[in-house]
Amino acid sequence: MPQLSSLVDWKPLILACFGLISHSANVYAQAPAAPPPREGLPTLSGYMEMHLNKVQDLPTEVDLHRFVLMIGHSFSDRLKFWSEVEVEHAFVEVEGGEETGEVAIEQAFIDVMLNRRFNLRAGMVLVPVGIINERHEPPTFHGVERTFVDTVIVPTTWRDTGVGAFGDLGRGFSYRAYAVPGLDAAGFSAEEGIAGGRQQGGRADASDPAVTGRLEYRNTGLTAGASLWRGGAGFGLIRLDIQTPTVAVSSLDARYRRGRHELRGQWSMVNISGAADLNRALQMHTGLSPNIASRLLGAYAEAATRVTPDSWSDEVVVFGRYEKFDTQNKMPAGFQPLQEFQRSAWVAGATYYPDPDVAFKFDVIRERNKSGVVRAPWQINLGVGWWF
Amino acid sequence: MLLKCFVVLALALGPSPQALKPSSPRVIRVSAERFAYTPSEITVEKGTVIEFHLTSEDTDHGFRIIGTEVDVQIPKRRRGETVVKYTADTAGRFIIECSRPCGAGHTAMRATLVVK
Ligand SMILES: [Cu+2]
Repeated sequence: MPQLSSLVDWKPLILACFGLISHSANVYAQAPAAPPPREGLPTLSGYMEMHLNKVQDLPTEVDLHRFVLMIGHSFSDRLKFWSEVEVEHAFVEVEGGEETGEVAIEQAFIDVMLNRRFNLRAGMVLVPVGIINERHEPPTFHGVERTFVDTVIVPTTWRDTGVGAFGDLGRGFSYRAYAVPGLDAAGFSAEEGIAGGRQQGGRADASDPAVTGRLEYRNTGLTAGASLWRGGAGFGLIRLDIQTPTVAVSSLDARYRRGRHELRGQWSMVNISGAADLNRALQMHTGLSPNIASRLLGAYAEAATRVTPDSWSDEVVVFGRYEKFDTQNKMPAGFQPLQEFQRSAWVAGATYYPDPDVAFKFDVIRERNKSGVVRAPWQINLGVGWWF
Repeated sequence: MLLKCFVVLALALGPSPQALKPSSPRVIRVSAERFAYTPSEITVEKGTVIEFHLTSEDTDHGFRIIGTEVDVQIPKRRRGETVVKYTADTAGRFIIECSRPCGAGHTAMRATLVVK
């Protein structure tokens, strides 16, 4: 058996250690010791969030809302894979014709890295609209639940199978653009807008395609984005003999951080063409008009401040948010808005971070609507979410 | 200690023997946040000794300059900074990528180092 010393010439190694440490020790003095995972090995990460919700007049509910595992793999510097598998509400069972939870692939795509400006992506992708849809790890946002705007106007988690491109345009600008299947207008509603029309990648009808894209700008502390989704929504209505509705979602958002303060805001609008015909056709089909609006509008503004001193590694951040979310903003001719869905809310709360990746959350929500009959509930939420 | 030796050795054997030349390094601060680096483009003259000071606004990220020995982890928000030196002795465009999974947009978290 050959001696180790004959296989390795130790001299340069020893020289390097003694000769270079004085030159370079300071370089690594502050660097963490753990090396990043090596390329070629699949990586595992994930996030979870558990909530306790007390909504006025309803029983207190505890929910393992999301349990998500992310698996990634780097085939090479040019070929990358990323995926996200989610279980919502802990388990799936059909109860009275309705599913109690959901198991879903939220992302599963291959990236082909070509150059800085232009790269390709194919697979199940997140629709690049708004702040939360693409950045939904629980420690990245305040409040136990996602914003109302990111629930009933932008239907997060909004994803679909598609192909597209992304890249960095320089000077702080970057973009993503995909072609994806359209929506199923038969699933639209007065209360939740287009959320019920998402196809979510399973045997999706692609005969009525859509395009979606986002342009983002980043500069010290500021991130601003403009997003668009535009496409058909009519394939589910082919036999109903109406002009297929077209849906356009536009959204503007910005985040700004300076020191211990953070501001964020988003404005999102959904336009549905041919909503009158759609309501009439669905009424003929089901006997009930879904009262789908021709415009849905939502916006929120949030301010947050870290209240713990700089010397503490634990952080407590307090925040306040105002939201307007009106899924009956503009009705087609001949239809009246349901005023209980013309809503707004004040949300105030705090997030405690014992670690930047673990967030204990608390908030109180005072919701209002324009109805004189249906009262909007208040609610108290507690939650914990983490990322690893 | 042994690990330190290897890291130091890797740097020395890396792209350039000039790494040994004493010259005052150019400090470049890079902030990482899901899923981007700011700045996302860094331009230096050939021969510059760069001292990267790397911080995060959220979770751990990686900082790997493809084709070089530089591959370090950036600590989480307010958990200090990683300082790493690199001698830019080869002209060209180098891709910097996040080498630590950080969430939904991790695969596209990149920046560019231009050495003129
Ligand atoms: Cu990263």
